[in-house]
Amino acid sequence: MFSGWNWVAHCLYLLLNICSLEVSGGLVQSCGHIIPESPVLALGSNFTALCILNESCLDFGNIYANQIIWKIKNKVVPKEQYREINRTVSSVTFNDTSSLATPLTCNILADGQIEQNIYGITVTIGLPPEKPKNLSCIVHQVSKLTYPMTCTWNPGRHTFLDTHFRLKYRWPQENFPDCIPKDVNNSCTIADVQFFVNLEVWVEAANALGKAESDPLVIDPIEIVKPLSPHNLSVNSGILPTVLKLSWENRISIAVMKLKFNIRYRIIGDTNWMQVPPEDTASPRTSFSVQGLRPYTEYVFSIRCMKEDGVGYWSDWSEEKTGVTTEDKPSKGPAIWRIIDASRSPASWTVHLMWKALEPFEASGVILYYEVTVRAKSSLSSPPEKYNVNTTNLTLKLPNGTYEVTVIAHNRVGASPPSVLLIPASNTKAPVKNVRTLPKDGKLWVGWTAPNSYILKYVIEWCLVSNSSDCTIEWQNEPGNIQGTYLKGDIKPFKCYLITVYPLYADGQGSGQSVKAYLQQDRPSKGPTVQTKKVGKAEAVLTWNHLTVDEQNGFIRSYTIFYKTIDGNETAVTVDPSKTEYTLSSLTSDTLYTVRMMAYTDEGGRSGPDFTFTTQKFGKGEIEAIVVPVCLAFLLIVLLGVLFCFNKRDLIKKHIWPIVPDPSKSNIAQWSPQVPAKHNFSSKDQMYPEGSFTDVSVVEIEADDKKSFSEQDLKPFDLLKKEKSTSEGHSSGIGGSSCMSSPRQSVSDSDEGETTQNTSSTVQYSTVVLNGYRDQTPVQVFSRSESTQPLLDSEERSEDHAGGSDSTTQRQQYFKQNGGQDETNTDRPCFERTKQITPANEGDLVGFAQLQISGQSSQLLGLGLEKNTQEAALLGVLQTSTEGQTVRPETVEGNPLSVDEMPKSYLPQTERQGGYMPQ
Amino acid sequence: MLSITGEGGGIGGGTDHRRLGAHRDARLFPRTGVVPFVALLLLQRRPVAGRALLVTGAGCPGHGLCRSNVQEQTRRQVALLNATAQDLFSLYLKCQGEPFSSETDRLCNPSGVFFPAFRVNRTSERKEVMVAMYKLFAFLNASLGNITRDQEELNPTAKELLDRLHNTTKTTRGLISNLTCLLCKNYNVFQVDVSYGESSKGKSAFKKKQQGCQVLRKYVQVIAQAARVLLPHLSPP
Repeated sequence: MFSGWNWVAHCLYLLLNICSLEVSGGLVQSCGHIIPESPVLALGSNFTALCILNESCLDFGNIYANQIIWKIKNKVVPKEQYREINRTVSSVTFNDTSSLATPLTCNILADGQIEQNIYGITVTIGLPPEKPKNLSCIVHQVSKLTYPMTCTWNPGRHTFLDTHFRLKYRWPQENFPDCIPKDVNNSCTIADVQFFVNLEVWVEAANALGKAESDPLVIDPIEIVKPLSPHNLSVNSGILPTVLKLSWENRISIAVMKLKFNIRYRIIGDTNWMQVPPEDTASPRTSFSVQGLRPYTEYVFSIRCMKEDGVGYWSDWSEEKTGVTTEDKPSKGPAIWRIIDASRSPASWTVHLMWKALEPFEASGVILYYEVTVRAKSSLSSPPEKYNVNTTNLTLKLPNGTYEVTVIAHNRVGASPPSVLLIPASNTKAPVKNVRTLPKDGKLWVGWTAPNSYILKYVIEWCLVSNSSDCTIEWQNEPGNIQGTYLKGDIKPFKCYLITVYPLYADGQGSGQSVKAYLQQDRPSKGPTVQTKKVGKAEAVLTWNHLTVDEQNGFIRSYTIFYKTIDGNETAVTVDPSKTEYTLSSLTSDTLYTVRMMAYTDEGGRSGPDFTFTTQKFGKGEIEAIVVPVCLAFLLIVLLGVLFCFNKRDLIKKHIWPIVPDPSKSNIAQWSPQVPAKHNFSSKDQMYPEGSFTDVSVVEIEADDKKSFSEQDLKPFDLLKKEKSTSEGHSSGIGGSSCMSSPRQSVSDSDEGETTQNTSSTVQYSTVVLNGYRDQTPVQVFSRSESTQPLLDSEERSEDHAGGSDSTTQRQQYFKQNGGQDETNTDRPCFERTKQITPANEGDLVGFAQLQISGQSSQLLGLGLEKNTQEAALLGVLQTSTEGQTVRPETVEGNPLSVDEMPKSYLPQTERQGGYMPQ
Repeated sequence: MLSITGEGGGIGGGTDHRRLGAHRDARLFPRTGVVPFVALLLLQRRPVAGRALLVTGAGCPGHGLCRSNVQEQTRRQVALLNATAQDLFSLYLKCQGEPFSSETDRLCNPSGVFFPAFRVNRTSERKEVMVAMYKLFAFLNASLGNITRDQEELNPTAKELLDRLHNTTKTTRGLISNLTCLLCKNYNVFQVDVSYGESSKGKSAFKKKQQGCQVLRKYVQVIAQAARVLLPHLSPP
């Protein structure tokens, strides 16, 4: 029971103690405290804190030092760092304060379970101030009598603590109030200092961890003065044109400080300062005369000062003042040159004299006019001509010759020395060699190799080469002992200059040697515009124009042509810059190409616009190479075909154009056994040229022997009849169709008995067309009758005879018989028919007749082409044919009645009602 | 042991030495910026016997600052005061207006005011010269302080005059520091009796102007003499 009350009381006491930490004013007494209270510790040092418990707590709450737990923030300090000094005091030790943090609390475990806070302190960790270093001071003069002194120092490392710096200073027997920096920790300004008294200056740095003082600096402030610069500087012209007098006021008393000075000056517009020798201004003064100046030149002056002995600092440069020296005579004559225009007249020159205005330091004043004297060297008797001009050029028209030109510049004070230029009649002297250029330091340097002779001087001409403007010549003179110089002009980058060097001799001059140059190159401003001149199957001729000079921006070193197909890689070809045309080869036919062109200078290239073209599908002559052989092959095939047909005409004729037996020529009725069967092929050919039988069907009958046509002969005839019966199915009934039937097809294959009957009853005759094949005018020679009327007996017999003759011999015999009466008359009927069909082709037919007669022709009538082409030859042949066979057309025409005189031949029949009717 | 006495007046000093100057106007120095002269008015009651009173130099305050250049600094200071004294006097007259501009000789006759005796010449002993100068510039420093105070009251807009007065006062202050150093270091003298002038406090404006005019006129005369006397003594060897 007692222990329970004790525990409750203990808890209440602890709660009160906890509350006491948060209630200000100490209304509730704490159970303990920590010493030291809120210490400031040096980083890295060791530190020991003590937690002291109140005796009252010991009795009331059974709290002892061995129950104390030390914590940094919320982290428990290891027990190894604890030490129980007695039953109310516990200490904790940190060997390195860098492990410390704030707050450091003293806690206790009540009854070994509940942790209660007893006390806490804040710990500040930092560094003591370092000794300030590098203390230095300077006295700035701000007015004639005010000299504040500013001292600066290095405050040292950061201390992490509030560190105060003080600038302390004193005299031997007097201390002054400290100078406390404002907003900075490394400098302070003392408002006023006294010269000629040694002043001891030092810096004190202090914070919670200590103080540090810099090394003292003992100085007399007069030794560290930066005075104000002299003021009221004025510049006055002196008596001499080369002197200007400067005057100024010093703002520090000479009693305080003796000064020395620096005087600097420059020509107005120039950026480079010149300086009066320091030893000339090393003593106190308020004026100085600057000598050695250029006449009539405006100068800018400035001055500064410092302590005479050099101890201290230079003042700033004073404000700048200008002054102009007085005029003097021009120190030299103007540089002179000429341009000679000899194009207008061969006998005289137009001489443009030009000279350069003198530089201000040369003119030494205002040039009022130039006196130009021109003296002809060739005619010493003639007086020199004088001109006074205000400009810097003079154009004269002079006869060809050698002249001496003199120019003198005049100003208010006097005249310049004369400048002389010899204008020889011709530039016969040796020229310079190896003219070259080199951009250097933003300028263009021109060098050359001098001739061996003595050179008086050189003239370097140059002009800007441009498409938009003429080449305006600029020039400059250079002494004869040099072999290179910078161009003294406004040389612009990326522009082409034509530079010419002339050597001037005492008695003449050499011709100019030129070179083109750029001060600075750039990429071309545009690329060449390429286009095609000619496009082939695998090549394309590209052409372009050179870039203009204004577009080049440099020397064009090369062109590169890039070309590609739509989906192909780009190919580059480098082209010599002198070219304006290039042929792309190995291109793919019928392909769209994109081509562009880049022009390169030393600084890079620029591409021109893209250009597209399509290669051709066929190359040059390729079409011809195809077409011509094809045509030739076609012609050859045709020719071969014709020859083949000609050679095989019999076969063709046999199959395509079979000879239909002409009943009218049937000579069965005339047949007699006495007719000798001795004709051979040649006689047959003579008698019946094939052409003459194109209008008839011929039944060829082979004969085994030369016996007469007996009954035995009629057997094959029966066979023929059979063939005829089969031909019925082939007869179309259209005129001429039977001409396409073979003789065998025209014969029926039916049995004999019927054959005879059928033949006699069904044989059809078509109209046989002479020259009517295809588009030729069909002429009815005789027509096949659709009638089934039997032939006349005589006809049938004749046909029977014909049909019985199966051999060629027999057929020949047949024709022989037919023509045996008169060879000439044998063909006449044929001619007659021809005449009837195409009277207009009478000549042809005549020729044809001649051919047939001569027996040398083998052509077909149906081939008009062949007929025409061979007509003349045939005529010739006819004229030179062998004896007895050449028959002139007149002869043929002279026997028109021969046909009528053939009593046993049948004319083609026409179908009439009531049967055949001889015509 | 320092013994400081005053004759006919004293100078107020700084915080530590204000007691030393019975005639010193305490307002003067804070307003003019002149730190009260340390005024170790080392009085040699018997100059001739002064040697017997010498102490070792180790006891001189600020011994480290008493360097070899102090002698030259002292000469330069005297030269500076001499160079600016006439301008200061002229400017003072100019700023006081009539009748001081026209009746300078009559109104500014210095015979009517106290001025410490400066009875040394080039042949005097250097130590004697130094002591005489110390007395002179101790008086001048106090007098210039009073004049500056009066002019700030009478001619507050005369900036240049005030600047010159301030500057001259500062220079005399530095000169006293150097003389103290020289006397202590070289001659072991650290007690000098000094006399201060009559205070103008409570006098009329005219009297203040007249007293200032009289002191400055005398100052011009004496500083020139001091410069001449001091030259051979303080010139670099």
